Amino acid sequence: MNALRAEFRKIITTKIVFWLTAFSLAFTALTVLLSVYLVPTSARVVNSSMLLQVPEYVNSIVAACGNASIFVIIIGIIGMTSEYRHMTITATFLASPRRSPVVLAKAVAYAIVGALVGVLNFCLSLSLTYITLAGKEHAPIEMSQALHTLIGVIIGFALGAIVGVSVGALIRNQVAAVIAALVFLLLVQPLLNAFVEWTTAWLPGGALDSVMNLTYRQGQLSSGLLPSWGGGLVLLGYAAVLGAIASFTTLKRDIT
Amino acid sequence: MTGNSVGLEVRSLTKVFGRGDGVRAVSDLSFRVEPGRVTGFLGPNGSGKTTTLRCLLGLVTPTSGQTLVGDQPYRELHDPLHVVGAALEASGFHPGRTAVGHLGVVAASAGIARSRIFEVLELVGLADAGHRKVGGYSLGMRQRLSLATALLGDPSVLILDEPANGLDPEGIAWLRNFLRSLAAEGRTVLISSHVLSEVQLTVDDVVIIRKGELVSYGSLQALSTGMNAHVIVRSPDSGRLGEALRSVPAASMTTQENGAFLVTGISAAEIGEIAFSHNIMLHELHTQEHDLEAVFLELTSSEGGAA
Repeated sequence: MNALRAEFRKIITTKIVFWLTAFSLAFTALTVLLSVYLVPTSARVVNSSMLLQVPEYVNSIVAACGNASIFVIIIGIIGMTSEYRHMTITATFLASPRRSPVVLAKAVAYAIVGALVGVLNFCLSLSLTYITLAGKEHAPIEMSQALHTLIGVIIGFALGAIVGVSVGALIRNQVAAVIAALVFLLLVQPLLNAFVEWTTAWLPGGALDSVMNLTYRQGQLSSGLLPSWGGGLVLLGYAAVLGAIASFTTLKRDIT
Repeated sequence: MTGNSVGLEVRSLTKVFGRGDGVRAVSDLSFRVEPGRVTGFLGPNGSGKTTTLRCLLGLVTPTSGQTLVGDQPYRELHDPLHVVGAALEASGFHPGRTAVGHLGVVAASAGIARSRIFEVLELVGLADAGHRKVGGYSLGMRQRLSLATALLGDPSVLILDEPANGLDPEGIAWLRNFLRSLAAEGRTVLISSHVLSEVQLTVDDVVIIRKGELVSYGSLQALSTGMNAHVIVRSPDSGRLGEALRSVPAASMTTQENGAFLVTGISAAEIGEIAFSHNIMLHELHTQEHDLEAVFLELTSSEGGAA
């Protein structure tokens, strides 16, 4: 319990989580605005006003906040690796000499942070969708769908942050960890998805999409995903495997 | 301070960094640190002091041997910050945190009341700077914040790595009195330094290492008198005095320019007795306290020493 409280103190006494949350909100706002005022290139056969009559499309605008989940992965990675970067890990391990519980406490703390960031992003995308659609002819915003999205975003963002913490536990170098995550998510994963169909469902990006019921990812329709609970288990599995490897390798290393 | 006095023990500690023939930082090192005393842990840069301290604190895993706080390894302590307070180096702070923020994190991790944060800041003289970001702190202020962090849990044992680094003479004098008072309360204080003169007036005991090996261990007094005292003795009858002293196996001597002998191995009283029993008149007989710094340098230089 003390370890968890210490993690929250660490988070509120620095600005990085605040800023990354702000960036995630800016990204969500951009996504909603583009979705409402422009037409995705993949759907250029129709025009904007027609597209807004499609119920699935309107729902997907609200769900657009899910695209910001990459920010909570980064938040988790930075939360873990900044301990090594600034050598605050010394003080952390002096207070809690058993190391795995420290990472566990961090994972819990960042899961809660991730969930909050998810809620904020959802509130922004929902309200912004309402505001920008006002006065336009559009399919109704279905509250049951929105609620579904909210639950998915809360769980998805929490899991994303946990995965981030486990990546940071394995790769102590902050720059290396962030670059590795971005290269994987933005380059390796799309490449695999493009050539090997089943990887879409099982890699972290697709798993996150299925948790959040995200049918459009940056304008692209995603298909062949696992059910939500399956995606959640896959993400937990990634975090558990990364964390387990870390606890036998990086975490055991001398703090010098 | 919680409970009874707690000592520290290092048992046959060996640490090799890297694989195979890695760097041997500490080699079969054993010593004890007693409660109620200030112990100086001395050695030149790179002699293995910090590695030993980090082993004691469970941050570095020994290659072989053991380190104990009281009767258990640090990693098994139930509530470590209330038993041991450690200040390892002045860089373990997030530059964006204030001193209050930093201490708040540590306090939370050990369930320490927030009021204690302001107590320790007051204690180390940082009360006015508590809400400033640590990134803007001077080296001396970081040292004080390290010390404040160590004191947060009101621990029975204090382990401080080069605590005088970056402190001005006034700060060093303050630190000396402060550490003496902590030891007087029955706490165990272990401070490392690469300069003996820096801690000479602070410590009761010394542990001196060189290249990871123990070269001297005991009270500071024993270091300054026991093994290194030179006795200067001068007699108008130096021939007979020399003969008499040479017959004592423990004594070794050199002749100085003015005809006096510089004797080591036996005390001034013993030399006086020998002269008296041989009926030799003495013109001079006194013990020359060796400069401790010279002793230290001799012990830790790469050529000299007992290893």
